Amino acid sequence: MVAGPDVGHAHGVTELVASKVTKRYGSTTVLDRVDLVVHAGEVVALTGENGAGKSTLMKICAGLTRADDGEVTVGGRIGYCPQIPGLFELLTADDHLVMFGRAADLDRAESLRRGHEILAEFDYPLHEKRVTRDLSGGTRQKLNLALALLADPSVLLLDEPYQGFDRGTYVNFWNHCETWRGQGKAVVVVTHMLAELERADRVIELQAHPSRSAAGDER
Amino acid sequence: MSSLRRILIMAEMHGRDLTRRHAALGLLVALPLAFYLASRGSGDQSVVAGGVGMAFSVSGATLFSILSSTEVDQRLVLAGYRPLELLLGRVFFLAPLGTVIAVAFSTVMVVGSQPTRPWLTFLGVEAVALLSIPFGLAVGAAVPRELEGTLVLIGVVGMELAVGPDSAVAKVLPFYGPQQLISSSLSEAGPIVGPLLLTALYGLGLLFLARLFVARRVDVTRHARTV
Repeated sequence: MVAGPDVGHAHGVTELVASKVTKRYGSTTVLDRVDLVVHAGEVVALTGENGAGKSTLMKICAGLTRADDGEVTVGGRIGYCPQIPGLFELLTADDHLVMFGRAADLDRAESLRRGHEILAEFDYPLHEKRVTRDLSGGTRQKLNLALALLADPSVLLLDEPYQGFDRGTYVNFWNHCETWRGQGKAVVVVTHMLAELERADRVIELQAHPSRSAAGDER
Repeated sequence: MSSLRRILIMAEMHGRDLTRRHAALGLLVALPLAFYLASRGSGDQSVVAGGVGMAFSVSGATLFSILSSTEVDQRLVLAGYRPLELLLGRVFFLAPLGTVIAVAFSTVMVVGSQPTRPWLTFLGVEAVALLSIPFGLAVGAAVPRELEGTLVLIGVVGMELAVGPDSAVAKVLPFYGPQQLISSSLSEAGPIVGPLLLTALYGLGLLFLARLFVARRVDVTRHARTV
């Protein structure tokens, strides 16, 4: 199954290649020989019904889930924003920035400087020093997105990253996709929001494999 | 150097996380104290019960620290941490914390029960605290959820308290070495070096197991680079 054609792109440099990726959970095939190619300076929207394997494909591309078959190659650092923010409940946004920044060998000051800059772009309430447990869903999601962006990755894998965003932040998010495109990043956004698909360079629709039941869970 | 910095940052963050859990911190101290006070009627054995009871609190805290953050851990590995750094970050925070609690608790028991060799009580309880960390890490990394982990913990430590020190089962349980040390503190004689070596061996073995399980749990595939 080919998820989307490799149409080539003005920037030319290939940042992400998933080739013949197959994933099965027991007798259920979630992905069957899926191909995906994303270039630098390209925004790709990944759509598809529940159970089509969008999140699984993103996790495989990020390296968090192992494919049963096929291979993935990447051009540089990956920034992955999961659908559900995986955060420490009793740490603040600053704590998270310092911790994730250190993973990329950023010192404390640089992590906070970069992190605050990203969070400010998404109207994060920087003056509040609350732990993440006490933040609203949308605010947690802003932090989740900032952590994906912190180390300035060249490949951005965003799995419905706008959950809980208000209208203004949602529009702002898609504006940022254009900024990231301009910076030469390869961006993949899992989305169900058909209204914004025109803002992507390509839309790839994953079809649920016939082995999956219609009531299957999203993986 | 950068690896040490990552370990220290993780230790700092686990410290911040746990110190914001006030009830959990209170229970960390209260649990072994409750074991000790509840068994005071059984004479000297209350010191052994209290000392081994430390294992419940320290390994419980360790278990929770690893099971409550599996998703974040995997994301941290994707961001650049090594699984061993995440593990050592916890050890670097929990070891000093366990030591502080062990010293405070040992002081209470030494004053309350006046063992023959008090310094050995301190050593034995400290051994319990330190061994509880790799034990909690290994159990936490091996089981899928908190419930299973807690049940394993209750089973092992409970068995440790229930069976007599001379039984064959007691000798293969992880806290047998520290238990021997605490028992030795109650008389003029009793083994010291053997139990210390056994504790060290168990600790290293459990740490090795934890390393294996954690690596599997937070495994991240490093993709080849596009040409």
